[in-house]
Amino acid sequence: MASDTKEAVSSTADLKLQFAPFSSALEAGFWHQLTQKKLNDYRLDESAKYIKGYYYNGDAVGLPTRLTLEFSAFDVDGPTPARCCPAVGMLYNTNTLDAFKTTDKKALLEKEAKEIWDAIQSGAAVKDPSLLCRFILLTFADLKKYHFYYWFCFPALCFPEGIKIVQQPSVLEQVFSAKQIAALQEAYDGLCMKRGTTAVSYFLMKYTDDTVQLAPLQDWDTFFTDTKKVTVGVYDPCTLSQHPGWPLRNLLVLLANQWGSKLDIVEVLCFRDRTLQGSRSIQHSVILQLKLPELPSNSACPKSVGWEKNPKGAMGPRMVNLSECMDPKRLAESSVDLNLKLMRWRLVPSLDLDKVVKHKVSSPRCWDSRLQLAFCYIGWGVRHITFVDNAKISYSNPVRQPLYEFEDCLGGGKSKAVAAVERLTKIFPGVKAEGYNMSIPMPGHPVNFSQATLSQAQRDVEQLEKLISEHDVVFLLMDTRESRWLPTVIAGCKRKLVVNAALGFDTFVVMRHGLKKPPVSQNVSARTDSSPSCSSTSSSSSTPAGSVTSVPVSSLFSNIPGHKLGCYFCNDVVAPGDSTRDRTLDQQCTVSRPGLAMIAGALAVEMMVSILQHSEGGYAVASSSDDRMNEPPTSLGLVPHQIRGFLSRFDNVLPASLAFDKCTACSPIVLDHYEREGFNFLSKVFNSSHSFLEDLTGLTLLHQETQAAEEGT
Amino acid sequence: MSLGVLEEETFCHCCHQLLQQSEQLRDGWTWESVQGSQEGYLRKTVLRSAVINSHPVWNQEESSSDSKTHTSCHSWPDQQGQEKEQCVVDEDDGVCVVPEGNSQVLQYEYHILYSSSYSTPVLYFRASTLEGRSLSLEEVWSSVHPNFKTRLLNNPLSTITQQEHPLLGQPFFMLHPCRTHEFMRPVLQSAQDQRGQVNYMLTWLSVVGPLVGLEVPLNYNFKLQNAIQYYTLTSPQT
Repeated sequence: MASDTKEAVSSTADLKLQFAPFSSALEAGFWHQLTQKKLNDYRLDESAKYIKGYYYNGDAVGLPTRLTLEFSAFDVDGPTPARCCPAVGMLYNTNTLDAFKTTDKKALLEKEAKEIWDAIQSGAAVKDPSLLCRFILLTFADLKKYHFYYWFCFPALCFPEGIKIVQQPSVLEQVFSAKQIAALQEAYDGLCMKRGTTAVSYFLMKYTDDTVQLAPLQDWDTFFTDTKKVTVGVYDPCTLSQHPGWPLRNLLVLLANQWGSKLDIVEVLCFRDRTLQGSRSIQHSVILQLKLPELPSNSACPKSVGWEKNPKGAMGPRMVNLSECMDPKRLAESSVDLNLKLMRWRLVPSLDLDKVVKHKVSSPRCWDSRLQLAFCYIGWGVRHITFVDNAKISYSNPVRQPLYEFEDCLGGGKSKAVAAVERLTKIFPGVKAEGYNMSIPMPGHPVNFSQATLSQAQRDVEQLEKLISEHDVVFLLMDTRESRWLPTVIAGCKRKLVVNAALGFDTFVVMRHGLKKPPVSQNVSARTDSSPSCSSTSSSSSTPAGSVTSVPVSSLFSNIPGHKLGCYFCNDVVAPGDSTRDRTLDQQCTVSRPGLAMIAGALAVEMMVSILQHSEGGYAVASSSDDRMNEPPTSLGLVPHQIRGFLSRFDNVLPASLAFDKCTACSPIVLDHYEREGFNFLSKVFNSSHSFLEDLTGLTLLHQETQAAEEGT
Repeated sequence: MSLGVLEEETFCHCCHQLLQQSEQLRDGWTWESVQGSQEGYLRKTVLRSAVINSHPVWNQEESSSDSKTHTSCHSWPDQQGQEKEQCVVDEDDGVCVVPEGNSQVLQYEYHILYSSSYSTPVLYFRASTLEGRSLSLEEVWSSVHPNFKTRLLNNPLSTITQQEHPLLGQPFFMLHPCRTHEFMRPVLQSAQDQRGQVNYMLTWLSVVGPLVGLEVPLNYNFKLQNAIQYYTLTSPQT
């Protein structure tokens, strides 16, 4: 604004009229529609298409002078918004970015300028002044990336020496009386009504002290009897007080061409008409006094300008990246996230989503319906999911598991882990899923048949160790008991949260494993010193009933902190072994009621989320069924240790149990051996009978003592 | 007719009335009918300059790399291209220097649709930059006035949700209608008690509109007093 006044102060003698250029304004719907047109109608057709924009003279001060294109821009015969003026344009949509770049912009501008000039010379523009206000839009739509390159041009014909301002631009209310202003408004509305429109882009004007008369451009000869000084009105989209908008430019060329010889001074009313809070005003319109220079006498088209500058102020195209609002992949991602955000706003304001979303989940060798779990994970915003499986998809899978399709079964079946990832990515591209087709070595399943099988087992263990340390939560969803042993040991050692789910025919257990306190270096060394002696002397301190009775009875099942909770193997007095041996086929594969896997799987995910919501995470005190009436520890409610469900009764209970100091998976002695000996220890476990682990942990002795006690009675 | 419920017929009637008043007040509401159906919606566009935070906190990880290119202009990397662009630039001394503000100009588009599931009007809207890039939910939030923001976050009454426009199929934001009955009922009740008359739509719009920057001029109410046609609560037709 400061620059405006400075310009105005400088001598008016050689003050040239300057125009506010159009700024292109595109509504979101325009690009949607262009995409549709490109895909369905234009395809590879690069020829020019008619489109339509509009401009408005009622903007508040400070807004740029715009030419707006909305989704309806492609409907050239469609209605123009009320009180707006239409502008017709040519759309050049190129097929390649290269074509966009190499298009001869100067030629495009000159072609359009020539058409305007022809309309001026032939007088067609007098009858239809909308021919004066045209534009060019050059676009390239990269529909793979949803990047749109575009460049607008608003062709304007130029006087070689510019246009002189005779008198400083003044606001209408300084020139016109209130009565004249009211009369002008009335006359303008009357002209609109007469022409059946809500806006008139150019008009002629005559006024006295208390009357105003308006007429369309084509009435020039009958309207003006004295052409010493004429007044023309232009519908002016500019809001600057010292400058008119772009539409006046070509009108002045028209005036000079048609009546230039007769005209001395031209008075221009830059008609602005805004309504604020229901009250209308036109008194901020601007009056200009101009001296029109003569156009060169030959009929050649004058010089033309009009390509729009980009936001940097340089002569160049613009680019807009709409991948976020148009790319279906991004839309799917944002709507999943949005659902979560809404859940937070609506239901659980204290929900800490980032905690959940940032967690990576790995599900080693889960049972078949685990893939439905994936939906739960995604529903909670978990983005990193890793599947571990060694099975191929069989024909019975697709009907039970929506993640697999019939095609996946063909040709011997795809690997389940890999197919699951493919499918999951199809359903929700935002997921970062990985699949590992590998076996998990198990106790009682020897791996020492050959050097090859042994080294394969070693690689599998290393891979599993790597995966577990890379993830935050491990889900154990296998078919067999023994296959859970290795991940339990590794995760226990790495202090990772483990959620375990196991199915019977119509019962299930979903549990979190006790999360051991982080190892303190001094304690560990002290324990390693004492533990071998403990096992070698067969631990006379161990009582027949195990550690369960060694803690005070009052706190037996209530308020067990997370680090004292048991694991899947803690309640067993038998080490895991080959449970599939000597069984019939129907016993080998777990036969369950079909809904059970989904119920247990969903509960497992929900349990994980509840644990993560707890401020202490895996160390949270276990809730039990008795806590159902108490104040819940997290915004999502209880954080149980176990959920045991009975589908026959449709009943769930929430027990909690302590870690067993002779547990074959999480007792200090097992973790300690694994930490010190690594694969050597593991291979002993895999290759030996189940007595190896029982001997190590003191279970053998426990058995003997129990038997002795029974015989004694 | 239970109090607070808006029948579709009444909705159309209210829209008609609002359009008439908007015409008088030049408030810019229009009726857009969907081709090949009787359905339609009220539409209004508003231009506003606002400071938006285009680096939302939420998706910082993902958007940080992309957001730079959102509004950037494209510069040609190759020398040849640059030479070509030079030809386009003809000196134009007829252009004035337009002062640039710090804030960005945003285009808001408001739609009012009837929801037969909730039996209420629903306000859909979207906002875009002048380049046609739709604002993300975070950006919309950052443009909501702080006074309203705390209220909205604490008050699920009119949470902003992203949904597909039921008639256009494009992504829009909407003010969720699930509690509309709740806040409309007392207004309608008091109007009924005082044997007064109220345009459901205007009352509703004046409550929900300002939350997302849509102002309803007071003159509407003034005009209502002088309007011949009323939507009376006591009308037994429906």
